Amino acid sequence: MITLARTTGLARASNAWHRRKPRSEISKPLIATGTSILALVFLAAVFAPLLSAWGPEDIDFAAFLVAPGPGHIMGTDGNGMDIWSRILHAGRIDLGVALSAVALAVCVGSLIGGLVGYIGGWVDEITMRLTDIVQAFPAFILALTVSAMFGSGLINLTLAIGFIFAPAYIRIMRGEIRALRERTFIEAAECSGNTRLQILYRHLFPNALTPLLVIAPLNCGWAMLTLAGLSFLGLGVPVPGAEWGAMISAGAADVVGGRWWTSIYPGVSLFISVLAFNLIGEGFLERSEAM
Amino acid sequence: MNGASAIEVDDLSIGLRTRGGGAVAALSGVSFDVRPGEIVGLVGESGGGKSMIARAIAAMLPSGAEVSGRIALGDVDLLALSEKQIRFHRGTDAALCFQNPRSALSPTRRVGQQLMDRLVRWQGMEQDEAQAAALALFQEVGIRDPRRRLRAFPHELSGGMCQRVMIALALACRPKILLADEPTTGLDATLTRDILSLFRKAAQQHQCGVLLISHDVAAIAEVCDRILVLYAGIFVEAGTAEEILDSPQHPYTKALRDAVPDLDRRASVPVGGTMPRLEKPPDACPFADRCTIADAECRKALPPWTERQANHFVRCIRPDTDWVALADVGHAPERSAPGAATRTILDLEDIEVVYKSRFGRGGQLALRGVSLSLSPGETLGIVGESGCGKSTLARVIMGLISPTRGRAMLNGTDITRMSRPNLRTLRKNLQMVFQDPVGSLNPRMTVERNIADPLKMLNLSAVEMDRRIDDVLHDVGLGSAFRDLYPRRLSGGQAQRVALARALSVDPKLIVFDEPTSALDVTVQAQILDLLRRLMAKGDRAYVFVSHDLATVRNLCSRVAVLYLGRIVESGPAEAIFDNPLHPYTRALLESAPSLTRATRAESVVLARDLDEASPAEGCPLLPRCPFAQGECSEPQSLRRGNNTHEVACWKVGS
Amino acid sequence: MLAPVLVGVSILCFLLIRVLPGDPILSIVPETATAEDIERTRARYGLDRPILTQYADYMLGVLQGDFGDSIQTNRSVAEQIAERLPRTLELIVLGFLLALVLAVVLGLYSATRAGKPGDHIARILALTGNSLPEFWLGLVFILVFFAALGWAPAPTGRIATGIDIRTITGFLTVDAILTGNGRAFVSAVYHLWLPVLTLGIVVLAPLMRSVRASALEVMRSDSYHCAQAHGLTPSRLLFGYLVRETMVRVPVLAALVLGNLIGGSVLVEFVFSWQGFGQWALRGLLLRDYPVIQAYVLVTASFYVVAFLVADVVQAALDPRIRIH
Repeated sequence: MITLARTTGLARASNAWHRRKPRSEISKPLIATGTSILALVFLAAVFAPLLSAWGPEDIDFAAFLVAPGPGHIMGTDGNGMDIWSRILHAGRIDLGVALSAVALAVCVGSLIGGLVGYIGGWVDEITMRLTDIVQAFPAFILALTVSAMFGSGLINLTLAIGFIFAPAYIRIMRGEIRALRERTFIEAAECSGNTRLQILYRHLFPNALTPLLVIAPLNCGWAMLTLAGLSFLGLGVPVPGAEWGAMISAGAADVVGGRWWTSIYPGVSLFISVLAFNLIGEGFLERSEAM
Repeated sequence: MNGASAIEVDDLSIGLRTRGGGAVAALSGVSFDVRPGEIVGLVGESGGGKSMIARAIAAMLPSGAEVSGRIALGDVDLLALSEKQIRFHRGTDAALCFQNPRSALSPTRRVGQQLMDRLVRWQGMEQDEAQAAALALFQEVGIRDPRRRLRAFPHELSGGMCQRVMIALALACRPKILLADEPTTGLDATLTRDILSLFRKAAQQHQCGVLLISHDVAAIAEVCDRILVLYAGIFVEAGTAEEILDSPQHPYTKALRDAVPDLDRRASVPVGGTMPRLEKPPDACPFADRCTIADAECRKALPPWTERQANHFVRCIRPDTDWVALADVGHAPERSAPGAATRTILDLEDIEVVYKSRFGRGGQLALRGVSLSLSPGETLGIVGESGCGKSTLARVIMGLISPTRGRAMLNGTDITRMSRPNLRTLRKNLQMVFQDPVGSLNPRMTVERNIADPLKMLNLSAVEMDRRIDDVLHDVGLGSAFRDLYPRRLSGGQAQRVALARALSVDPKLIVFDEPTSALDVTVQAQILDLLRRLMAKGDRAYVFVSHDLATVRNLCSRVAVLYLGRIVESGPAEAIFDNPLHPYTRALLESAPSLTRATRAESVVLARDLDEASPAEGCPLLPRCPFAQGECSEPQSLRRGNNTHEVACWKVGS
Repeated sequence: MLAPVLVGVSILCFLLIRVLPGDPILSIVPETATAEDIERTRARYGLDRPILTQYADYMLGVLQGDFGDSIQTNRSVAEQIAERLPRTLELIVLGFLLALVLAVVLGLYSATRAGKPGDHIARILALTGNSLPEFWLGLVFILVFFAALGWAPAPTGRIATGIDIRTITGFLTVDAILTGNGRAFVSAVYHLWLPVLTLGIVVLAPLMRSVRASALEVMRSDSYHCAQAHGLTPSRLLFGYLVRETMVRVPVLAALVLGNLIGGSVLVEFVFSWQGFGQWALRGLLLRDYPVIQAYVLVTASFYVVAFLVADVVQAALDPRIRIH
């Protein structure tokens, strides 16, 4: 027996019966926080000469290994160099190298991965084996040998680090292209008379680039850590160059004696910058998953 | 409150929040009940709220939903239960059967184990008891070789079998009511029939109520006791299945019924527009804007829910007014028979396609010995169930797949083993519309760019191209406003129109349609089919229409070829084949097609075993399943003349 | 897949290091050496022969377990590997296991409370850990736990001086258990916990992110909803439907992390004076000690490849849709 349906308005339900609260949007605050921090770091690096009283390699003969105080906000290291100035100038190097290396890796990696993923066949097989080889190679040795071959210097370090990260992008791009290849709109593109090249750059690439761009910020953070690690071992930026990892290495011995400022400050700077990248990257990931 | 009901819904209203922060009144004060052993059908378009009812009863509403009203199971009001208490309600009181059964089964857990989980939970069994009960349940839902299937993983089962497992899972909960959400979408006709009969069995044997939700009234009509029609969140009509089908009262119900092309000649008649998404409960008849007989009265206030006959309710103030005269289209529009001088556009000779098996142990024969020809002005329908090779055939015609043997000729040119660049120049004469409308458009391109994509082949000036795009959008019934939209903003029907526009833009001589409407709602299907019919009536192109839906094919095509396991078993003029099918498979196919008029057909042909169980033999592909099989059937069967009207591949009926 | 990659790695390595500026022989001959002396020393290490021959000899040797002799110390490289590798492996395996267990627990916890404060806190903590340079973190830990609190020993090695322990496997903890040496076990753990913690924290984030993302995907899937809709108990949902399906996606990332750890652990070894595999190779690199570098690259690459093989097997075991042929 169907009862008469009374039309009542939508009452605001007072009970929370099986109503799950909507998930809070975390991606925006993440990206916002990360970007603001990164902006600060970026500005500090750009305006380094204006913000620091000393040059990065100027020696204050009157102040060796002094604690933070007036004159030297963050103290000086064993060579008499002002830590605050060195940190600011190091930001240029770390940030610059990280961004360039990842940009290089993305460009080269996506091109190779895209082509190889679309063409398939033995070209794909061989490229993937080569990529496997490069990925299986211990990163530090690879970076060092590649940069040493062309002489040390920032450009070569950038190339080396870019070389380390490229295989991952090749892999991802290839995977994306292979998945997209089977989609209906690619079949439709073929029916529309597109050449293979046209399908690649008009239809495949624009749709495949998203995952790469999503992880790029995270990679920037890792690139910075890799550079710092290399410098820490003495393989990257040579002493007395101002680079966060190198500064930490120089200050490592001082730690045991309780002199913390020579390695803590550069470490914190490195940490904050990488954290900024990681926050942005996590925000991007969250965004792309939510779609 | 009627104590005999399995479930009683009283004045249920559900409001949802959309992503942009807007509100949607998904349901506005619906009331109904379902008795034990009764099957109630809930029909309406997508977005009408039918899924929401099922989800509300099963307590699986999306986050942010606001509910009011009452859902009573016995003495208990479900809406008043707490989180903890709900856990004791889901499953045992109301069990949901999901729309896509394969994805609803956990891929890393054996199906038998999943079944036993429910048996243990709700029937309190021990492991070995549960094992035996699981076996029995699998047999009950018609799964062959149940012992082996218990240990299977979902990806090892076919779609139909997954659906049976899904039903078994729901039944194991011993529910008071079974909620089936679009249980037959995407299934073939024969399978649909089987699954629906399972619900009937379940309702009778387990004495549970069944709520069948579907957008296709024809599909579920045969098995329902009562049908409720939902539109924009309110009921517009309710009555027994017979009454709803034979004498619908509400204009929308009539529209739903007319939208489905019926096998017995009646073409589908579309109703324009789309269902509105209301922000608050309606204060006027929500169907008024699409209704041809609506007047000012209808728009002043919501029509009352009146009982016209015993237990037949309508919400309309002019149900007796003649709404739409049934258009008896008869056969497909007359076209001038191709004279001898007209060249055939398409010629396939003895096409064979083999898919190499992954592990190198031989291949799978997708098509064998297929020969067809098509002239301008003709529409060829290719019918068959899933797995028969019709998609492969469509792609061979398009040149996307090269046959391993045989020849394909387009306009006299042999395209079989043509090189890519050469094939490309022919593409402006050959276009295709795909099954997945939104998926066939580049998500990062606007509608305009998507349509312009094939136009590159024509070397038009910018002005000409612009005009062409506008023209072609107009032809498919979309305005220029659509040019700047991205595919994700389009509905299924709109996207398919855009795909059609894209195909038409280069003015090809042949268009191939691969199941273009199977992913769409019935009302939208009707609109698209109407569009296609008008296009085809112009008579200047050839069309190939691949589908598993016989009624649609009958209403659109002048010629038909029936495909079974990669071979053509019958082919000829559409009327001849539908009026007088000869091949046993064709007869069985027509038999199982759903029909709104419950006419009984003489001499039913019943095929043994499910499609996925039978393996194709050397001779006639139907041999393992044909009730008339004899010795000669193991010889390869070729198409031969049968009664002078069409060709059949069966020695028994061919001359 | 295994063999060609390793062969490729060895070839690449062979070529790369010989292209490096710097002559390994020059650093070991005395200042007074004549040109002939230098040539003779070079010949002793086979460096005067053509590259192809050198490579062939080397690979033949490797197949028989002979990695050559170190140019610097003249000791068998294989011997030094046996000495050094277990030190690093002990550190890595424990660090990885710590990270993995924490990742699974935290990841599942986070996913089941998605959107709530607990989830956010867990994720930000993991992110923070991932942003820390491990060498710096090690220093900070030493500062805090050794210099300030005294809960950890001085970073001078793996075990307190003066404790005797018999070497069987090279893994101090394992050896201590096998020989029933209680004091050695305690000392080993006392020296291990800080570097293991350092490694674990840094590596936790990507693993946890993977587990969490995977678990969320499962929880949003139709199959999970179906199990919920049929009223299964929370514990059955968790163990029967959530965990296994979540873990299916984890092995590949875990292999990547583990594979990279053996190369990346050199920084932590440095800070804690672990005298491990990485440090040894580093010195070899700086002094252009070819056999040492080659061995290091080969072993590291093998480890990487094996990690992926194991991941494939584990994944196939977890996911019935994959079958290895």
